[in-house]
Amino acid sequence: MASRKAASRAIKVATLGAGMTGKYLGYLAQKWFLNDDQRETKLKATHREAARHLSDGMLEMKGPLMKLGQALSLHTDLLPDEALVELSRLQMSAPGMHPSLARAQFKSSLGKYPEEVFAEWNATPFAAASLGQVHRARTRQGAEVALKIQYPGIRETIEEDFQWFRAVALPARVSQHLPTHILDELREQILAETDYAREASNAELFGKKLAPLTYVSVPTIDRALTRGKVITMSLLSGDHLDDFLARKPSQRTRDLVGERLFELFYYQVLRMEAVHADPHWGNYLFRPRGEIGLVDFGCVKYLPAAFVDNLRKVFLYAGPRDSPEFRRLMQERYAPRGTKLSATAQRALARMAERFYAAVYPSDPADDSKAFDFSEPTVLRDYMIEAGNLTRAKAGLPEYVLLARAEMGLYQTLHRLRARVHTSRIVRRYIDNA
Amino acid sequence: MLARICGHEFRPFVPPGYLTQHEYTQYFTEYTHGVIMATRRGARKTAPTKRASRADKKDATRRRILDAALTLFESKGYDHTTTKAIAKRAKIAEGTVFNYFPTKDDIALYFFELEVDHAIDAVRRNTDLAKAPLEERLFALVQYQLDYLAPYERFISAALVHALRPESQLAISVRGLALRNRYLAFVRDIIDETLPAGGGHSNTFAWAAPQVFWIYYVGVLLFWLHDTSAGKQRTLAFLDRSLAIGVSVLRKGTI
Repeated sequence: MASRKAASRAIKVATLGAGMTGKYLGYLAQKWFLNDDQRETKLKATHREAARHLSDGMLEMKGPLMKLGQALSLHTDLLPDEALVELSRLQMSAPGMHPSLARAQFKSSLGKYPEEVFAEWNATPFAAASLGQVHRARTRQGAEVALKIQYPGIRETIEEDFQWFRAVALPARVSQHLPTHILDELREQILAETDYAREASNAELFGKKLAPLTYVSVPTIDRALTRGKVITMSLLSGDHLDDFLARKPSQRTRDLVGERLFELFYYQVLRMEAVHADPHWGNYLFRPRGEIGLVDFGCVKYLPAAFVDNLRKVFLYAGPRDSPEFRRLMQERYAPRGTKLSATAQRALARMAERFYAAVYPSDPADDSKAFDFSEPTVLRDYMIEAGNLTRAKAGLPEYVLLARAEMGLYQTLHRLRARVHTSRIVRRYIDNA
Repeated sequence: MLARICGHEFRPFVPPGYLTQHEYTQYFTEYTHGVIMATRRGARKTAPTKRASRADKKDATRRRILDAALTLFESKGYDHTTTKAIAKRAKIAEGTVFNYFPTKDDIALYFFELEVDHAIDAVRRNTDLAKAPLEERLFALVQYQLDYLAPYERFISAALVHALRPESQLAISVRGLALRNRYLAFVRDIIDETLPAGGGHSNTFAWAAPQVFWIYYVGVLLFWLHDTSAGKQRTLAFLDRSLAIGVSVLRKGTI
């Protein structure tokens, strides 16, 4: 039964792919009869239609596929603008559950309908996630809260998606370009996002540990109204990135927000040894004075202490990357997994450290006063190229899966903010005071 | 067949084919309570307050018998519950039980009539559903039914099996058929309200949609009874996805 359902979803994905191919074939057939201007207009329309087709399909199928769409929408460097506009719908909106289903799902967890529990609740969600949707409500005590309700049966859907994806990815698994342990890590993390009890604990932990960063706020969990597939939490104010940028903040504000986002990331990695690893733009709220609201703690990666220790030694490494010392540090990082680094993998790691990290994070303290300008278009491209080289060199680690996702999300946001950030100064602060 | 309900004898009729929702409601009210029929036949006239109070009292007794029966159906099982035990639990004479419900099946049918009444009324009263799409309205209808049935899973399970027996009056009886037809008429009303003629459902088999829905509903009931997932998650997911597919087929007119 499960395999039949998995096959049915696989067919849907194939249909989705065929539909998109059809749109581009249509464009190719027509392009010979169009002049340059018409071609460009037609191509843009085709990008838009294909992306709309893709995002509609992903919205309908939800689960990991919608997560993939959200990840794609962060690739401002790879996809045309028309496609990004369509895919960005996946960040903030989804058809989701109709009000009757949301009510029923709420009752199945808390034993009562929302209107029996809250003074008021809005049946129309104000935000959608890949695994659920968020409604506004007001408690009987008058507090404004966000009510996150999970789609019914989403865990089974994820299991099924991974079942067929494993089959489809067999060649990549055999060639070790997509090793089984990386796939397992992805599956585990996405399944972990269906565990709302874990998410509530994550939010509480982050609320406590991030307290020293006074400009960051995290929702407070209402434990009495959090159970099963429902989380009730305080409602944070702020704009999503698009709305924040639409207000045309000054360069000073952009820089301030950029520095704070950057510090927030390295504070998590080096101080908390845990990272909020779902960097899509719906999870960040920005306020005019540069405060940041962080929401959705379903996808949190807890990093092993030995791995973080190794990062502390490697970050801002001052010596040459082809030195025996740097090689030893890299081998030390991979040793706990029993992975012996090949010469190709070592070269790829050294090249990434040299070409990307040394450029963005100068190791000399004398350069700490220089801010790195993330509006630079090459920064994202370089990161993607080097990360791709690492994958091809089979130098992956399960820890990289979510860490790299969070890191790339950070660079994407900083790029869109066109922020200038004192990268090394911030990182050095947390290496030195570890 | 003569039925004695609320002290009035009358001969029930089998409703022809389709009736409107209103006609079914009227038929049902007449059949189960006999009040309108009795009035039409010139039954002894009583003061309105006195009549209302007597009707209330009868309703209360009927409800007391039902509550006692449901408790026993759940604890002892449908087959092992006797009318004597029901009377004892309801603290009334066994003869009184027979006055209200000639057989145990009549008690069960009364429960299902109340359940359908409740679901139809809840859908009608829910103003948020007035503009909701067909799949949501049908979802809400089934959800209200399942909500009502939830405390009595053991009894529902037994009643479904019992309904298949030749001697059972749950499925093959005038009241049973009337109840089913009333439910289907309501489903037909929802479909007509949501997908007006010429506005979409060009499916050649659209006329059969309520009957298909009935079979689907029995399937959902079986799925729900066997669903061991926390909070009946699988039933919710199944309902959501299957209704989306079914309504899409109805709208497009093709599979």
